[in-house]
Amino acid sequence: MSVVDHNAIEFAPRISEADVSDYIALLKPRVMSLVIFTALVGLVIAPGHVHPVLAITSLLCIAVGAGASGALNMALEGDIDALMVRTANRPIPRGRVTAPEAMAFGITLSFFSVMTLGILVNWIAGSLLAFTIFFYVVIYTMWLKRWTAQNIVIGGAAGSLPPVVAWAAATGSLSVEPLSLFLIIFFWTPPHFWALALFRSDDYARAGVPMLPVTAGPDATRLQILLYTIVLVAVALAPWPLGYFDAAYGVVSLVLGAGMLTLAINVYRLREGREAARATRQLFAFSILYLFALFATLLIEVVVRAVAASIW
Amino acid sequence: MAVLMTDNDRPEGIVLTEAQLKSRRQRSIAIALALGVLVVLFFAVTIVKGPAVLVRPL
Repeated sequence: MSVVDHNAIEFAPRISEADVSDYIALLKPRVMSLVIFTALVGLVIAPGHVHPVLAITSLLCIAVGAGASGALNMALEGDIDALMVRTANRPIPRGRVTAPEAMAFGITLSFFSVMTLGILVNWIAGSLLAFTIFFYVVIYTMWLKRWTAQNIVIGGAAGSLPPVVAWAAATGSLSVEPLSLFLIIFFWTPPHFWALALFRSDDYARAGVPMLPVTAGPDATRLQILLYTIVLVAVALAPWPLGYFDAAYGVVSLVLGAGMLTLAINVYRLREGREAARATRQLFAFSILYLFALFATLLIEVVVRAVAASIW
Repeated sequence: MAVLMTDNDRPEGIVLTEAQLKSRRQRSIAIALALGVLVVLFFAVTIVKGPAVLVRPL
């Protein structure tokens, strides 16, 4: 007889085999790269000089904060991720990381990203980053996503905030220019995600997520995509006549806006068969290029202006 | 009745597999690197800001 109960071993905690790549996957690296890029633009177009070390610190904190949001989102959505083809390969549905582990990871990164940005840069930026994480995790993931078809419309605000956070990091204040960047991403989100939802509607229906194509049907979604695209093109063009951004931005915005609108009209017009599927995929792919090109133009404008100023 | 336990009776406890040891080592290195980056970041910003690092407007 032994004084130690060998059966106790069966109740031993699970030993993780998750490696670093699983934790990197929790950060949603592709979303993170878009966040870094839009934040970089917010930082660069901000007036005044930002020391490179502070700029890198700000971008790092914003990136880690975005990654933390992704980890918390996955921790809370393991059940529906397992039911969807697009997300079934994530670390939690695959059993590589448990939801509590992802939650602890997300909370730790949230804490460090917000505190570091607040302490090292400024507390307006730190507070905005904390609000962004809160909005994405609590308002979008825990509340809106499983409750309303307007989930990505309202939840899109979280994805729109990084350039505003970056602007606040650079200037210590807020103004209209970062608001225009916010509005561009905000109105870009619905056509982008509804185009994805149109060709992934079976996935969302299986998981019980009330995306617009599931609750209102594909035709209503096509109309909403078109309406939001019209608003998006107008909002993206507005900063040029208002004098916030230069003519190069205006021309790029006009040309790409025409492309975006044409593809949205195609999505609205073509409703059956392969042509309809192709139209939604084209809009989804082009929408990524559209946002990237608009922000890249702003970045190039600033760089060209800086180079020209240093030459003359 | 007193029970004596010999070395042979002693339970092995939790023995990590090769994969578990490897992933734990990887995670430990990643945490160490992250902490290192944090230290370097705080040091660099302190140097960059100089005495202004003590000015903390909200």
